[in-house]
Amino acid sequence: MTKNLLNYSYYPGCSLHASAKEYDESTKGVFKALRIGLKEVPDWFCCGATPAHNVDELLSLSLCAKNLSLADNVEGDLAVACAACFSRLKTTQHRLTENDIKRKQVETAIAGSVSLEKPVKHLLEILAKDYGLDRLADAVKKPLTGLKVATYYGCLLTRPPDVPELDCCEAPTIMENVIAATGAEPVSWSHRLECCGANFTLSRPGVVLNLSNAILASAKRAGADCIMVACPLCHGNLDIRQKEIEEANGTRYGMPVFYMTQLLGLAVGVPTGKLGLESMIVNPLPLLREKQLL
Amino acid sequence: MSRIGVFVCHCGENISRTVDVERVAEAAGHISGVAYATDYKYMCSDPGQGLLKKAVAEHKLDGLVVAACSPRMHEKTFRNAAKAAGLNPFLCEMANIREHCSWVHEDREEATAKAIDIVRLMVERVKKDKALQPITVPITKRALVIGGGIAGIQAALDIADCGHQVLLVEREPSIGGHMAQLSETFPTLDCSQCIMTPKMVDVANHPNIKLYTWSEIENVDGYIGNFQVTIRKKARSVDMDKCTGCGVCMAKCPQKKIKSKFDCGLGTRPAIYVPFPQAVPNAPVIDRENCTYFKSGKCGVCAKVCGPGAVDYDQQDELITEPVGAIVVATGFELYSIAEKPKGSSIKGYGEFGHGTIPDVIDGMTFERLASASGPTGGKILRPSDGREPKQVVFVQCVGSRAREKGISYCSKVCCMYTAKHTMLYKHKVHDGQAYVFFMDARTPGKSYDEFWRRAVEEEEAVYIRGMVSRLYQKGDKIVVMGSDVLVGVQVEIEADLVVLATAVQPRQGADSLAQKLGISYDTYNFYSEAHAKLKPVECATAGIYLAGACQGPKDIPDTVSQASAAAAKVMTLFAKDQLEREPIVARVNERNCVACFYCKKVCPYGAVEEKEIRDRQGNLVRVVAYVNPGVCGGCGTCQATCPSKSVELDGYTDEQVMAMIEAL
Amino acid sequence: MKNSKMHLSTETMNLGFVRKVEALSGSSVRRCFQCGKCSAGCPMRTFMEHPPNRIVRLLQLGQWERVLAGRSIWYCASCETCSTRCPNKVDLAAIMDALRKLSWDANGPSKESYVQLANRLFIENIKTYGRQYEMRLAAVFNIKSGQFMKDFLLGPKLLTKGKLKVFHQKNRNIGEIEQIFSRIEEMRKKGEAP
Repeated sequence: MTKNLLNYSYYPGCSLHASAKEYDESTKGVFKALRIGLKEVPDWFCCGATPAHNVDELLSLSLCAKNLSLADNVEGDLAVACAACFSRLKTTQHRLTENDIKRKQVETAIAGSVSLEKPVKHLLEILAKDYGLDRLADAVKKPLTGLKVATYYGCLLTRPPDVPELDCCEAPTIMENVIAATGAEPVSWSHRLECCGANFTLSRPGVVLNLSNAILASAKRAGADCIMVACPLCHGNLDIRQKEIEEANGTRYGMPVFYMTQLLGLAVGVPTGKLGLESMIVNPLPLLREKQLL
Repeated sequence: MSRIGVFVCHCGENISRTVDVERVAEAAGHISGVAYATDYKYMCSDPGQGLLKKAVAEHKLDGLVVAACSPRMHEKTFRNAAKAAGLNPFLCEMANIREHCSWVHEDREEATAKAIDIVRLMVERVKKDKALQPITVPITKRALVIGGGIAGIQAALDIADCGHQVLLVEREPSIGGHMAQLSETFPTLDCSQCIMTPKMVDVANHPNIKLYTWSEIENVDGYIGNFQVTIRKKARSVDMDKCTGCGVCMAKCPQKKIKSKFDCGLGTRPAIYVPFPQAVPNAPVIDRENCTYFKSGKCGVCAKVCGPGAVDYDQQDELITEPVGAIVVATGFELYSIAEKPKGSSIKGYGEFGHGTIPDVIDGMTFERLASASGPTGGKILRPSDGREPKQVVFVQCVGSRAREKGISYCSKVCCMYTAKHTMLYKHKVHDGQAYVFFMDARTPGKSYDEFWRRAVEEEEAVYIRGMVSRLYQKGDKIVVMGSDVLVGVQVEIEADLVVLATAVQPRQGADSLAQKLGISYDTYNFYSEAHAKLKPVECATAGIYLAGACQGPKDIPDTVSQASAAAAKVMTLFAKDQLEREPIVARVNERNCVACFYCKKVCPYGAVEEKEIRDRQGNLVRVVAYVNPGVCGGCGTCQATCPSKSVELDGYTDEQVMAMIEAL
Repeated sequence: MKNSKMHLSTETMNLGFVRKVEALSGSSVRRCFQCGKCSAGCPMRTFMEHPPNRIVRLLQLGQWERVLAGRSIWYCASCETCSTRCPNKVDLAAIMDALRKLSWDANGPSKESYVQLANRLFIENIKTYGRQYEMRLAAVFNIKSGQFMKDFLLGPKLLTKGKLKVFHQKNRNIGEIEQIFSRIEEMRKKGEAP
């Protein structure tokens, strides 16, 4: 086995072990192909996501702080795939750095010192900055030429401005840059930063049908063939609920929603069977066949 | 044959939007006597003026018509250009195809035809224009400043510091104006007295300033550089030369219960008084209306106790006439009162706020006196009704201001800031008190102003409620404030201990009659009008008269001081020359035809017509004719229109010229 | 309640509550000058009876009951758009978190039981299993909310796609998680944590 170019510790988050398993699978595939090492933090647990910070900030901060200290035991910066987990972990680092009172409370809660030094990085950052766009372009075996991609950031990759430190919060380019490196064509569209309804998917699905519809309609208006996401919640709303959205709004999108690593995997030559394409609710195969990408 | 040049301006799109300027230039070229005609986008710009100068040389032009805006706007500009091109500037005339044509018409065809007509008749006028030479008049290098508030004080000091004599006339017994009444000033919260009183002392001690307090302007004659002002020095009943300012008279005066105007009626003063202890001059005046001696002939205590014998009950008003070259008007403002107004008045009071009958509903200036360390409560915030410290204080902005129904549609500009300041002063003095402010907008444009307001909200915890108050009424010892929070969309009710109204800033009563004496214009509210809102903001349309402070419009202290210094600078510019060049557009009398009816003398608004004796060589009086003093003539033409024998003509507007213009139509 | 008159006085304005919100959120409430940019960009505005700016306005006046009684705070999606774009750096998303916590603690007067239920189940899942198991979360939510048939057609589809895990593995850190919960509870009992 050849030596890895880069090595990371890895926090997949709950969804990547369940509803977003194809994100996990394709991430591992792409990173292997690019010779980037990923070592999962053993026995990580839920970051608390939105429900925790919604009603109990201290619990949210404590869960994340504990996960961060677990990650300290694994070498390499912490790679995070899920935008929500990424946001929670970064927020925790941010808040506890700024606020000594909260930091002391969290230290009591986790009965240990808080470790905030390890850089927490979203996969996009690793690919675009650490690995580099040039190197990524060089690694492309099958260019995604002709594929028009609507890159969807959602809420938590870039907001609020001083927390994720990933890209400009109102005019980010990192997703476009990454997918452009594969030869695909990112489209310019209006709703890439709008909210999809997120965790209301369980309690208030009506909200999701409304908000996600606007996103799908915008992507379609822009002439996109598909949407690319980096968050399991967004994926759930846009892909799993797409049929419902279509029915509720009397329209038809048939818009495949890929995790970014699925598209990257296609480009860098990860075997199709290892990208979890069959797990997608909106079948992407007709599109991929049409574009001769299979 | 004349060689006239016609220059048609597009004025960006102001003219060309409605008038086909190219067609106007084309048509002008065909008028007899026109040697050259052209159009240009901005004739007043450097390239536009260059065009004009070049054409004068190339086409040997002997007269110019600039078809553009009003002569009030750019006549001077183009006459200077003509002069630079070697022409007599009075051979250049404006054809106003903007204000008189493009701005007031919509139909392009008709507007273009009218523009051509205007140009044609101005060409005829220029043909008969004569080269005129400017008239020079001497300048009296003394200035009159009317009003001794911060505006007048600043203007007077600036002019006096420049070495010119200043007469400072103040209606009240002391200079200082409203600023002397203020407690602390925004946005720095420095004490008004601390920054104001030294300036008052400077005025008193300045060798170039002659101070007339307790005095008013009786009459103004003359013109720029040569005014004659008559000042009424009201009887003070105290000889200022003898008075030492010891104050014994005030201490001994048995009549002590007169409400102090300076303290907004919160405190009292004797009948012989200075308005406030730091007054300049520090000599008292007897309030004859309230003095027992003047009312009944008895008492006379003040005269008895006065060591130097300064009290003089027989003093009379004195009229003093002084020559001045320039006048700065700085008469300031007064606050709108919510009291009931006379029927039919365009300005209405606030019945819904109790018409001023609720004792604990006060105005902003009264709050200043409450908060002032030198005020009647020594700086303690206490209710006028029972002297208790109010714990819930409601401030209401825009009372009178921006209230069309009440007769005033303008913004008073200073209230947002002083109300924010009031909430702070209140919080600093009553720590457990709560200030509420009902406001429609917070208007805080000014250096460090918005930050100041935000400080009141964020740090001093004033509760600002967006919405107007509908009604105030007394309920027990509370005042119920019925308001609304339009942001939440619900009604708000507060039981207040004290209500402070930010009442509108209005011109001084009598501002209009002073304006008529001065011959300056004023708006519907009686604020004095500047010559140009942007480019001549301190000049009046009447030459030689300048404006400073709130008499021109609501203004805060920084703006007032800036404008006062600007007005002073204008006066100093005028005084920098020994002679004044005036436009030679003046009336001339044909002495042969004059029948000496002197109708002209009767109608002349400038008093420029004199009776001139014509004598023979032996010195025998042959006859008397009218003579127009060119230094005084304002060039209005009234005499020309009145003269039954057609013996008076205005240069540049002779009958011959006007007839030629009419014929050209 | 929504339209009733506000009687403002030092007594009726609960500024203590506002200070609590400010301490929890780390954001100033008074700083807001009601420009409305938060409401302009809020994706959930149409579902709320009080727009976000009015929530802040009511807080400024100490009207905590009006704020908590409504469902608005439970309809916030935590998308952070408001906090991102606020010209005054008011962290409204954090203020919403604080309000939900205070409502949660008081066992809220909110009618929005579904959102609260979902949150509660989510947190219980963490306490019990360490991680989320979406199948279980959805199933229990539907049972508890009485919507047995909700997403009925979606379930089997997800199962066949392998998206719902029926079985879950034991997390070796579960003891540690339980302790975090109990330590926080302990701190709160002692008044050492909000």
